[in-house]
Amino acid sequence: MAQVRIEHVFKRFGKVTAVGDFNVTVADGEFFTMLGPSGCGKTTTLRMVAGFETATEGEIYIGEKCVSSSHNKHFVPPEKRDIGMVFQSYAVWPHMTVLENVGYPLKIKKVPKEERRKRVLEVLEMVHLGEYAERYPHQLSGGQQQRVALARALVAEPSLLLLDEPLSNLDAKLRESMRFEILALQKKLGITVIYVTHDQGEAMAMSDRVVVMNRGIIQQIGAPHEIYTQPANKMVADFIGLVNFLPGKAQATTVTIDDVEGSFPHPNPEGLEGAVTIAVRPENIGMNTSDGIVKGIVTHRFYMGDSVDFRVQVGSHMLRVIVKGADIAQYPDGTEVYLQFDKVMVFANDSEASK
Amino acid sequence: MGLSSKINSKFLVIAVSVILLIYFVVFPMGVLLVDSVYMDGGFQLHNYREVYSALVNWKALTNTIELSLMVMLASVLITFPLAWLVGRTNLPGKKIYRTLLVASYMIPPYVGAIAWVQLLNPSVGYMNLILKWLLHLQTSPFDIYTFGGLAWVLTLFYSPFAFITISRAMEKMDPTLEEAARISGASPLRTLWDVTLPLMAPSILAGGLLVFIAAGSCFGIPAIVGMPGNIEVMTTRIVTYLYMGDDNGIRNATALAASLMVLANSLLFFMTWMLGRKDYTTISGKSTRPNMVDLGKWKWPAFLGVGAYASIAVIIPLFSILLTSLLKSMSKSIAWSNIGFDSWMPVLTSSQYMESIWNSVIYAVIAATIGTILAIFIAYLSVKTRVKGRSLPDLLTIIGGSTPSIVIALALVITFSGTFGLNLYSTMWILIVAYLVKYMTMAVRTIAASLSQVHISLEEAALSSGASWLRTCKDIILPLIAPSVVAAWFLIFMPSFYELTMSLLLYSGETKTIGVLLYELQTYADTQNASVLSVIILGIVLVGNLILNKVSKGNVGI
Repeated sequence: MAQVRIEHVFKRFGKVTAVGDFNVTVADGEFFTMLGPSGCGKTTTLRMVAGFETATEGEIYIGEKCVSSSHNKHFVPPEKRDIGMVFQSYAVWPHMTVLENVGYPLKIKKVPKEERRKRVLEVLEMVHLGEYAERYPHQLSGGQQQRVALARALVAEPSLLLLDEPLSNLDAKLRESMRFEILALQKKLGITVIYVTHDQGEAMAMSDRVVVMNRGIIQQIGAPHEIYTQPANKMVADFIGLVNFLPGKAQATTVTIDDVEGSFPHPNPEGLEGAVTIAVRPENIGMNTSDGIVKGIVTHRFYMGDSVDFRVQVGSHMLRVIVKGADIAQYPDGTEVYLQFDKVMVFANDSEASK
Repeated sequence: MGLSSKINSKFLVIAVSVILLIYFVVFPMGVLLVDSVYMDGGFQLHNYREVYSALVNWKALTNTIELSLMVMLASVLITFPLAWLVGRTNLPGKKIYRTLLVASYMIPPYVGAIAWVQLLNPSVGYMNLILKWLLHLQTSPFDIYTFGGLAWVLTLFYSPFAFITISRAMEKMDPTLEEAARISGASPLRTLWDVTLPLMAPSILAGGLLVFIAAGSCFGIPAIVGMPGNIEVMTTRIVTYLYMGDDNGIRNATALAASLMVLANSLLFFMTWMLGRKDYTTISGKSTRPNMVDLGKWKWPAFLGVGAYASIAVIIPLFSILLTSLLKSMSKSIAWSNIGFDSWMPVLTSSQYMESIWNSVIYAVIAATIGTILAIFIAYLSVKTRVKGRSLPDLLTIIGGSTPSIVIALALVITFSGTFGLNLYSTMWILIVAYLVKYMTMAVRTIAASLSQVHISLEEAALSSGASWLRTCKDIILPLIAPSVVAAWFLIFMPSFYELTMSLLLYSGETKTIGVLLYELQTYADTQNASVLSVIILGIVLVGNLILNKVSKGNVGI
């Protein structure tokens, strides 16, 4: 098992910087996720760890071994990095049976045939494909092909497992159950995992730590709950979960929303002053008809099953308010309501790209 | 009323095109096949027994198969590395090379043959002379009039079929399949062997078979390169028998042509079946930019190697023809003082030459225009409708296109010489029908590809606005597929313009075409005039290709 150190890595394609100063240490046995919108550089970073791209600058270590260094012009090709990898397209070889696919890394390592078969069947058992060993990929469903890819990545007991959006081609239900299966396997084997996804649900549910990336730059690194409750900037707050952004002003210990009477207490640890952006998540807004600081009018309601999703006009702003277990008839359109804001976040207006 | 008129005009158009195709494609080939086994009022294999008991014909058959196999193997062995270098590595100058490597596709094969005869003629070939001088040799190192020489020219001219098929398969392959092998511990070479080659095997075989069929069906190159050295193949035997002019000759030619047709079409059928198997298709996700292999220190040697091949395959032969056309006298040595347009003037002022050029232009324009209109309807039928048998006309044009030219010509001769009522023989229409049968399939493919991009809802919107089906075609569909229609026109025009094999069997005194004229000049050893005509043909084809490229934005070309 191995720790992975990615030190000040840059990747430039001509004049375009795809990844800028990526600097992370992934702990031994950690489930580490790179999350971000498409084109944010997460896949490029993963491919540099795998050895399919060369870092323009910086060093990458897997365990104690330096696999890529711009400084020493040192580069270890993918086949010598001792890595397992699962691709988004599965990349299961259509001309080989499941047994041959999964056994291929062992064949390259010249493991004797008998032992190879035994180990392949063991790992197939682990991904619940025991009875499919003799089949060809075109006889398997998408989910089963995905398991073959996973088994192939694990069979040689690599020190590091890379997963490049492995669930994005599966249907919603299967995706959900595969999340827990992958996680259970990872815990059982204690293997270090670097996982790439654009699906925040996957990132939240599976990861020990998440790095949020945007335009090649790291926005925030932290445990899922930290990223959700204390986003480092507007981009992270917007990308993870739902959020209302409101223009406002910050004083020493309070903030006010533009065009709206009343102010909220805010500890203001960063000492912000003047124009700021106030952010509050729809589920952190309480609603009643009796009293509160902010007054608004319900304009639309959407029934969501376990909750009701309201649109509330507050001054010139339109807010989204999600009330768990609400009755759709409780606040008809046009109702005057009071809103209570909980867990208010305040960002400097230029915070988007600053981190 | 609207609905019934829509269905009626649709069915009318479909019915007319199916009837035309059956009459001009299926019927003649049927007549040819039946003629080959029907004699004295009954079925018998007498014709085949007679034709193959002659050693020369048996030899022609084995020559054809041996030659085609050699050309197929050589083409695959040459084009696989070329396709890989151009498609998957950081080879410098890739774009120009890609164009050059498919360029011989647009040069008429017999023009290529003429060029190679000029280069490797054992007594006066330019390349032989240069090599003799460079290496101080007493005798010429190469003789083009040999089995090897014939295979060489055929390989240069038909390997683009393999190159195009293999390149496309390489581009379509999911690069993560190879990356998965690398991450599993396989070296790049091992990955090539274990993953790339097995996955590409069907396409490699398909490309090879295309070359095999093309080389076996070719007449121009064996006629110009093989016959002087007494190397006979099926196509040259068929022409020889036909030129005898008597019933016996036609019977023998028919038996040979029927064998060639069955061979070519069964191979093509096998190839289509093999490529259509679903086992090899895989789910593909986002396409990662295929990783370009860094050639490292091999970069420039590879650049020079590919450059040398491209020069030999395309640049040197073209240069040779241009040079010959510009020599004032063939008997004097090559020097500036011996260069001029002297041989051009007699050609440009000869009414006989100009008439042939003019004939070719007119026939090609008529064929291209009729063919494009038919192709629009056939493509529409196959792509846009759910009518039963909608792809039948499409299939019929494919059969026409895949049948060797010589077979088509012979089938038309025996069918439309009055035996079955219609007599087209020695009119220009028999040439035009032949061009249509052979080349319409390319036009149908091009238009069908473009039509499949036009969503059905655009058409439905016009119909629901009250337009009739024909009106919808005119106002909505045609403007959207216009570029592909123009491309289709040129795809019929150009090969028809320089066609040789069919024209040679179907022309008459009044309808001589430029291909036939050039062939006659070459056989009468009038090399200079042949070169001038070749340059004119190449010039017209080049202009046509530039227009084609511009109109289709580089997507279609010969």
